Amino acid sequence: MNNKKEKVRVLGDFFYSQIHRLPIFDHEGLRVGELRDLAIRWEGNTPEVTGLKFAKGVPQHIPVAQVETLNPGGFQLKGSLSAESLIPLQADEIYMGKWLMDKQIIDIKGAKLVRVNDIKVLWLQRGERKYLLPVAVDIGLRGLARRLGVEFIFKKRKNHFVWWQSMQHLEEKTANLKLVSEPSQLDKLHPADLADLIEDLDYKKRTDFIEDLDVETAAEAMAEMELDTQKEIIELMDSQTASDLLEEMPPDEAADLLGELPEEKADELLNLMEPEEAQEVRELMEHEEDTAGALMTTEFMALPPEITVADTFPRLRKLAAEAETIYYLFILEEDETLLGIVSLRELLISEPEARLESIMQTRIVSVLPDDPHERVTELIDKYGLLALPVVEKNGKMLGIITVDDVLEILLPDRGSLETFSNFFTSKRALK
Amino acid sequence: MKSPILRRLFLFLAIMGPGIITSNVDNDAGGITTYSVAGAVLGYKILWVFLPVIVALVVIQEMCTRMGAVTGKGLADLIRERFGVRITFYAMVGLLLGNLGNIMSEFAGVAASMELFGVSKYISLPVAAFLVWWLVLRWSFKVVERVFLAACLVYFCYIVSGYLAHPNWGEVAKALVVPSFSFDSSYLVILVGVIGTTIAPWMQFYIQSAVVEKGITVKDYIYTKYDVIVGSIMVNLVAVFIVICCAATLHLKGIKIETAKEAALGLAPLAGAGASTLFAIGLLNASLFSASILPLSTAYFLCEAFGIEAGVDKSWREAPAFYWLYTILIVVGAGLMLIPNISLIAVMFWSQVLNGVMLPFVLIFMLKLINNKDIMGDHVNTRTFNIISWVTVVIMITLSLLIVGTSIFQA
Repeated sequence: MNNKKEKVRVLGDFFYSQIHRLPIFDHEGLRVGELRDLAIRWEGNTPEVTGLKFAKGVPQHIPVAQVETLNPGGFQLKGSLSAESLIPLQADEIYMGKWLMDKQIIDIKGAKLVRVNDIKVLWLQRGERKYLLPVAVDIGLRGLARRLGVEFIFKKRKNHFVWWQSMQHLEEKTANLKLVSEPSQLDKLHPADLADLIEDLDYKKRTDFIEDLDVETAAEAMAEMELDTQKEIIELMDSQTASDLLEEMPPDEAADLLGELPEEKADELLNLMEPEEAQEVRELMEHEEDTAGALMTTEFMALPPEITVADTFPRLRKLAAEAETIYYLFILEEDETLLGIVSLRELLISEPEARLESIMQTRIVSVLPDDPHERVTELIDKYGLLALPVVEKNGKMLGIITVDDVLEILLPDRGSLETFSNFFTSKRALK
Repeated sequence: MKSPILRRLFLFLAIMGPGIITSNVDNDAGGITTYSVAGAVLGYKILWVFLPVIVALVVIQEMCTRMGAVTGKGLADLIRERFGVRITFYAMVGLLLGNLGNIMSEFAGVAASMELFGVSKYISLPVAAFLVWWLVLRWSFKVVERVFLAACLVYFCYIVSGYLAHPNWGEVAKALVVPSFSFDSSYLVILVGVIGTTIAPWMQFYIQSAVVEKGITVKDYIYTKYDVIVGSIMVNLVAVFIVICCAATLHLKGIKIETAKEAALGLAPLAGAGASTLFAIGLLNASLFSASILPLSTAYFLCEAFGIEAGVDKSWREAPAFYWLYTILIVVGAGLMLIPNISLIAVMFWSQVLNGVMLPFVLIFMLKLINNKDIMGDHVNTRTFNIISWVTVVIMITLSLLIVGTSIFQA
């Protein structure tokens, strides 16, 4: 803290619950009100208190610069309280207590949805100026006990803080504050964690939340969710956003999801999607459930037989972004007939001038689109494959099934370990 | 699905659940006991109460489901966010103790009904407790759900049982619509008991969470309204038949009873072994049904209100507080009933007092929340609905105070 020109001194260390309702005195010791709430404004990534709301129903507050001292006995002002010195809540300010206390936030580090029990506030001095800074929210049991007036029970327990940097709030601040773009913390989360979090949110927040994420992150998280949740989210979104999201999702996941929606809704969304992507998804949707065709994705690495290993690498760079797996390259003729497969390992150890057709493996293990998924699992297991091509009778390659798609079938779905939410009601049996 | 009527029916079937399940949990061991006693002591003349009770039930549950659909939050969440942690804490402690009392009476119901089949409570209670605990933690949801839907049908036992008692249908019809009132203290106690057992605080929390968990939105909300109405009618229909069954037999012969078990025993010589057995099966079903839902939902609300990890999809290590609470509720609930000669009447008495104290607060919180524009937007109560709901709430509050008063006076 000493790297700044002026030294920062901590004058006091409080919790919001301790200063809430503290009396406010003017310079002569006359009681002018009590702390009802704190007006805060965002300065960069952290908030700063700008004023004290001092009475119920009074829309103005006392600017924080007027505060001389703050101690457990109350606030003392520099001068007397005059109507001119009061300021109303500005457009970029918000009442902290009302906005944050007892609300849900996301703890990014713990990747969990938690409830705010208290807020840590520091009373600082730098040079002549004094600051009141909220620094962290308390989500621990000790904070809860403090609110209930029985903190002594948990005296030995550490407070459980979430710092501003690692929290994401769910309640909107104000329309204006939303425009001030704050770097979203959510990118730091793994899509699977993000998906779990979104599943924990209530349905209204879910949709808002997804709409706030960038489309790619949202699509990745969506792909990790259970089909039922995906469906609920899509149904509540406006169609344009929903179709953008579907475009970003892997086509096999998108097809599964659209297959669950009512036909009209699915058609509407497909029509809004880019024609090319929509076409892929449509084709995937035509396959019967539990067949290889329904499992597969059309995003694989297809390369012509005549190019050399050296020429392959620049192409790989381009294709790799889209493809579901990069460990197998599929060598296709112009009419999309599958000729052979080159694994990434073979590619790496081959001479740069060798042509793909000379190094490709032509003993191909593949399935037909109508084969049942048991056959797929069996083959993947038997040959230890990372992906299995789906090929029509005439040799035309349609797509691949990756090992993680198969895992989804083999592992009991987490939802069937009956969440409480499911326990409540009866949505599946009635389908 | 082409016809609009079929389509609507389908939508309704997809959305139904919260209302019907909540209502059926409501006809639990305590409820059946109260209705049996009411029928045996007062005969048909208590029947008129059920029509206004249906209205009150619909009004109150409709508000909860609307709040759930509009806000996407549970009642405990809304209370915590709007009224702060202290009030939530007291509400949750009240809910916890009240529900513990309810859970005990469910296990008492299990013990009583199994004793009718000749099984000692020292066997039936541990088995039932373990089964309930295990069912929820280990069985797949699909199995549990089928069991539940089937369980809802078992309530019709009472309708058959009531029919077998050969009541005088003319008198029944008249008693249903013609109010009779008396200031006799036993009449008042029973009247208040019947209403109190039908409208209990935990239901408000439960039904709202159920709506939220089901992801019902404002758009589909109209079907939930039907769900609430169907559920409310169903629960009261069953209650009416329990009263009829006891009124046509026990009351007519002047047999006094204090428990549902005595009712079932008393039925055998009067309405035949069939009616008696059905009565006992109904009691077992209702007790098990409610015993599987109450501990779980109680643990869930508490953890949610205090921001502690909860949910059966979490592991024991991820959500220890939730699992311990759940387990303790079952162990304590069933364990206390194992004490020889424990008085079920005393347990029901205290849980009734607690529920009676809680209900006014819960109802007032609800009305404040549902009329808050910040929370409900355009879906706040209309003027007319506010009048109806305030009248309902005031009557309910008066009655709950009466429950508390009479309970303490009796003691």
